Amino acid sequence: MTAPGTTARPRPPARERRLPGDADMWVMILGDLFIFGCYFVTYMVFRAMSADEFTASQRHLDIDVGVVNTVVLLTSSLFAALAVLAVREGASRQAQRLLLATGACGVLFTLIKAYEWHAEISHGHTIHDEFYSFYFVLTGVHLVHLALGLLVLGVAGRELRNPRRRRPAIVEQCVLFWHMVDLLWVVIFALLYLMR
Amino acid sequence: MSAPDDRLLRKDRRTVFAAWAALTAATVLARFLSPGESQSATALGDELVAAIVVLGLVKCRLVLRCFMEVRHAPRWLRFATDGWLAVLWSALLVIYLI
Repeated sequence: MTAPGTTARPRPPARERRLPGDADMWVMILGDLFIFGCYFVTYMVFRAMSADEFTASQRHLDIDVGVVNTVVLLTSSLFAALAVLAVREGASRQAQRLLLATGACGVLFTLIKAYEWHAEISHGHTIHDEFYSFYFVLTGVHLVHLALGLLVLGVAGRELRNPRRRRPAIVEQCVLFWHMVDLLWVVIFALLYLMR
Repeated sequence: MSAPDDRLLRKDRRTVFAAWAALTAATVLARFLSPGESQSATALGDELVAAIVVLGLVKCRLVLRCFMEVRHAPRWLRFATDGWLAVLWSALLVIYLI
């Protein structure tokens, strides 16, 4: 007769707690989240002071364009997260392709945003409207971050192309920045498009 | 690479795909909670706004935990990110409802 517990399947080893990326990158990310958070709250305070005007202006935004852009950016984050896992497996080629797909989604997001800006300006919705002044600044600052993210993805791709380097930690940090861009968009989408 | 590492990597891959599916589903669900351009110009009901805020908070936490791997991070980072989420979304909801 076997002793109780001896036939049980061995438990998988507990995963070690570790900081994704490094502390410097997290200081930057948390700082950025704090600053954007202050701006989101400021927008909501201004919205509360002129709720009817903001709601009327928000109705002009095409919510489906916002949904498509959100799904595009979420898909880019999926590719970026898979790229990190591929680097950890030592599959550098696959990681490079996944980073390329991430960047392609970022470019597609920018093109859709440019189309949306063009449509809004063509309809006379400019910064003279209080809601649209917030809309252009929030989405504009986010686009600047996205452009920086594309640059950072390029750094990660360069790292993977060099067989003597290929440091997983560098790729992890670059991808963390990209996920932050995605995270900020999730809040912007809810604020501008959904909370009418 | 050892067998446990392979198992953990497979688990991480499943987590990432599940998070992406949940995030996409939450985005589509939130879209149907919010009225379109053609509908009445009155503000949303409080319940709908609360639902949109909860969906937004859940989506942000999924990005942080599953994509940014905060679920494996030290306690200070998990508390810092959860604190940011709680303060931000509760402030947005309270200001909207006032």
